[in-house]
Amino acid sequence: MPELIDEWGRLLLAANAGDARAYARFLTMITPVLRGVVKARSGDLGPATCEDILQEVLLAVHLKRHTWLPDSPVRPWLYAIARYKVVDAFRARGRRIDLPLEGFTDQLAAAADTDLTEAADMAKMIGLLDDRSAEIVRKIGLEGASIIETGMALTMSEGAVRVALHRAFKRLAVLRERHVK
Amino acid sequence: MKTNDLIRALAADTAPARPLLTTALAGLVPALGLALIGVWGILGIRADLIQSLFEPASVARFILTGALAIVGLGIAVGLARPNGQTRLWPLAVLGGITLGLLVWAFVTTPADARQMAAVGKTITTCLVSIPLMAILPVAAILGMLRHGASTMPRLASMVAGLTGGGAAAAVYALHCTEDSPLFYVTWYGLAIAGVTLAATLIGPRLIRW
Repeated sequence: MPELIDEWGRLLLAANAGDARAYARFLTMITPVLRGVVKARSGDLGPATCEDILQEVLLAVHLKRHTWLPDSPVRPWLYAIARYKVVDAFRARGRRIDLPLEGFTDQLAAAADTDLTEAADMAKMIGLLDDRSAEIVRKIGLEGASIIETGMALTMSEGAVRVALHRAFKRLAVLRERHVK
Repeated sequence: MKTNDLIRALAADTAPARPLLTTALAGLVPALGLALIGVWGILGIRADLIQSLFEPASVARFILTGALAIVGLGIAVGLARPNGQTRLWPLAVLGGITLGLLVWAFVTTPADARQMAAVGKTITTCLVSIPLMAILPVAAILGMLRHGASTMPRLASMVAGLTGGGAAAAVYALHCTEDSPLFYVTWYGLAIAGVTLAATLIGPRLIRW
C-alpha cells in the first residue's frame, strides 16, 4: 500500500519540522504495526512485557527520528530501527528471536489491534528521573497538559520545559539501557 | 504508563536534532585544527613543503590519506542511519591504488636503495604521532555515530577508525619528509591500521543506542 508510505513520510516530515500534531498522528499510526510485530514473537511473555518492549521501540524511534533521510520511504527506515530494538529487547529478557524484515510487512494485517495495557517499565524509569523532569513527563503524558500549561504549573519558561522534556527522554533511554543490563 | 500517554509525551518533544553530517563536522573541524596546531607548533611543518608539492610521489600522500578521510566520512554517515547504505567499494578502490603505488615504488627503486627508502629515519615519530593525532578525529566520528542509529556498529566503528586515521595521516604529512611510497604506504598504513583496530574494538560499546 504505497499511499500509506506517502502518508507516513508526509507526517514524519512535518514532525521533524516541529509539527507536534503530525508527529502524534505518526506515532499513533505506527504503533499498532509495531505492537503486532512484538506480540507475534512474544511467546509466553505477557501483554504488559510486550507493551514495555513496544514503548522501548517508540522511545528509540523518537530519539533517532533525525536519522530518517527526508523523501526516502519511511518503512525501511522504521523497520530497521524497530527490528534492532525488538531483537535487543528480547535478548535483554533472555530470548533470541529471529526477526526478518518480512516480519514487518506481514504484520499489516494485525494493524487494527489496539491495546490499553498498562506497561510498567517506563513508569519505573520515569521514577528514576529527577523530580522536575519526571513531573514534566507525567504532566504532559498522563494529564495531557500542554508545554505552556506545564510551564505555568512549574513556573518555568516554555523553552525551559521543552529543553527539560527533550533531556528527559534522552535520559530515559540511558536509564533503560542500564536497567536492562 | 499506557502507550497512548507515552505517545502524547513524545509528540510534545519537537526539539529538532542536528543532522548527522553537521554533527560529524562540528567535531572533526576542531579536532583537525588542533592536530594542525600540534604539527605546526611541536613537530614543525617541513621546510620544503612548497617544493615537495611538485613531487607526485610526495603529493600522493595527501591525496591518498585525504581521500581515505573523505570517502570514509561519507560511508560513516551512511552507516549512522539504521537502514544505511554499505557501499564499501570506494575503500577497496583506494586500497588497490595504494598497493599499486607500493608495487610501482618497489619496481622503480634500485634494489640497493629499497631498504633505506622503506626504513627511513622517522618510523617512531610516525607511529606515535599519527595515532595520537587520530584520537580526536576518531572520537568525532564515533560521536556522530552515537548521535545516529547504526545497526552495524562494528563496521561503523571500523570506518570511523579508517576515517580518523586517514585525516590524522594527512595532517602529519605536512611535517613528514619521507617521500618514498615504500616508507609511507608501509608506516602510515601501519599507523592507520592500528587506529582502525582500536576503533573497531572500542567503538561498538560507545555507539550503542
